[in-house]
Amino acid sequence: MKGKKEQTNQRATPKEPFWLSFLPAGVQDFLVETGDTTRFAGRFFQEAFLPPYEFKEIVRQSYEIGYKSLSLVGTTAFIIGVVLTLQSRPTLVRFGAEAWLPAMVSVSIIREIGPVLVALICAGKIGSGIGAELGSMKVTEQIDAMEVSGTNPFKYIVVTRIISTTLMIPLLAIMGDGIALYGSFLAVKTKGAVSATLFFHQVFQNLDFSDVLPAIIKTFFFGFVIGLIGCYKGYNSKNGTEGVGQSANSAVVVASLLVFVLDLIAVQITAFFGYI
Amino acid sequence: MTETQNTAPVVNQRTSEFGEPIIEISHLQKSFGENHVLTDFNLTIRRGENVVVLGKSGCGKSVLIKCIVGLLKYDAGTLKVFGKEIKDLKHKELDHMRARIGFVFQSSALYDSMTVRENLEFPLRRQKHNKTKQEVKKLIEEMLDNVGLLYAINLMPSELSGGMRKRIGLARSLVLEPELMLYDEPTTGLDPITAKEISRLMLEMQRKYNTSSIIISHDMDCAKLTANRLVVMIDGVNYAQGTFEELNHINDPKVHAFFENQQI
Repeated sequence: MKGKKEQTNQRATPKEPFWLSFLPAGVQDFLVETGDTTRFAGRFFQEAFLPPYEFKEIVRQSYEIGYKSLSLVGTTAFIIGVVLTLQSRPTLVRFGAEAWLPAMVSVSIIREIGPVLVALICAGKIGSGIGAELGSMKVTEQIDAMEVSGTNPFKYIVVTRIISTTLMIPLLAIMGDGIALYGSFLAVKTKGAVSATLFFHQVFQNLDFSDVLPAIIKTFFFGFVIGLIGCYKGYNSKNGTEGVGQSANSAVVVASLLVFVLDLIAVQITAFFGYI
Repeated sequence: MTETQNTAPVVNQRTSEFGEPIIEISHLQKSFGENHVLTDFNLTIRRGENVVVLGKSGCGKSVLIKCIVGLLKYDAGTLKVFGKEIKDLKHKELDHMRARIGFVFQSSALYDSMTVRENLEFPLRRQKHNKTKQEVKKLIEEMLDNVGLLYAINLMPSELSGGMRKRIGLARSLVLEPELMLYDEPTTGLDPITAKEISRLMLEMQRKYNTSSIIISHDMDCAKLTANRLVVMIDGVNYAQGTFEELNHINDPKVHAFFENQQI
């Protein structure tokens, strides 16, 4: 139990084990933080399935998180599609493999670049936004005000945001993939005569179910992690207004890092099942 | 009834003119690590009574009211609100009890993402009541009219001044028609004129809705205007209590320090 962290809207932290004090301070902090985050995630699963369900707030958050990220995700995806095509084309031309350009770009975007890029953009935009918003709510006693008005703030604030990021980021990633492929088509078209039908026929001809499905599945995990870390950092914000900035910053850093870690795990799993 | 367990100069424990006890605090203790905030706090508040708790910053005044409303768990002692021990209450019972208490936060704690109307609607949506949509609308308008801010109904909290935010915070806490009001430094950060307006408003609302209240403050003008009884909190105990005039004239340097500016 540390300081005023023991408010009833934040569950009691178990006593730290004795062996922890023998470890270096950095390792101690990492383990404690990992333990607290895991407990926070556990509380999410516990509360998410129990009534009352905050459907209205989930829809509102989905609008805030999903709809308001469309332009950023769309623009970035379009640019990546164009750039990837323009950068790859000269090499393929040199080997006389220009016809493989749609296939190469589509597999790169759908399998890897699209989901990871969208997740990183969302970790920056959404993760930091959630971290700062919740941190600010904590500092200005809005979370306490919610609790005294008979609302479970964890359910209303945290559960709704994590569900929304988990649902919205896959949709954003799918949309981002589509826009990136369209950007790629336009880039190809500037260099030679190719019809949209031919380009997209080649794209889908070379895409397999095993390219699309694992990529979409991992975006649910990316979304969950971005929401979880943003909420965890904001909900446990300390040190007044300075802490709000720290929460937002560390939400982005940790969520981005975890996106890469999850991506690495996803690659291992897909390789294990022979999808690579 | 002896409420203090130390050498405190208890001046007055006049309680007979008020109703039954609604808050009974006995030997309350609360620590944050090595920081012992409440060491042996005792207090009884009766229905219809306005009690101002005075104390230096960081002495545990806010901790006290957060324990009363169940936002913080106390370590030892008993704390009964409306006859029920707070730490024995289950979550639903605590929520039910909280509906009978209005809490005005120091920072007003208005929800930034909601308009003034939605801020007032929020507690009504979360608590069970038998009001129709029309009645809810009328109640919200009445509350805003009470605090003179009906015209701000569609504004966002970011568009309000500090005094306006305090008034909306007060209106929001009154919307569930509570029996007990807890004010956490309601006049802090306001200019003297606005602070006086807020104090008058608190008194007016107390008379209109017949609430009891605990007011955490170190604003002596607010205390003078609103208190039936003052409690001076020092070192985690209620060091002294009495009316404003009684405490103003007692010969104790610790208590006297709070009243120095009043006597200039």
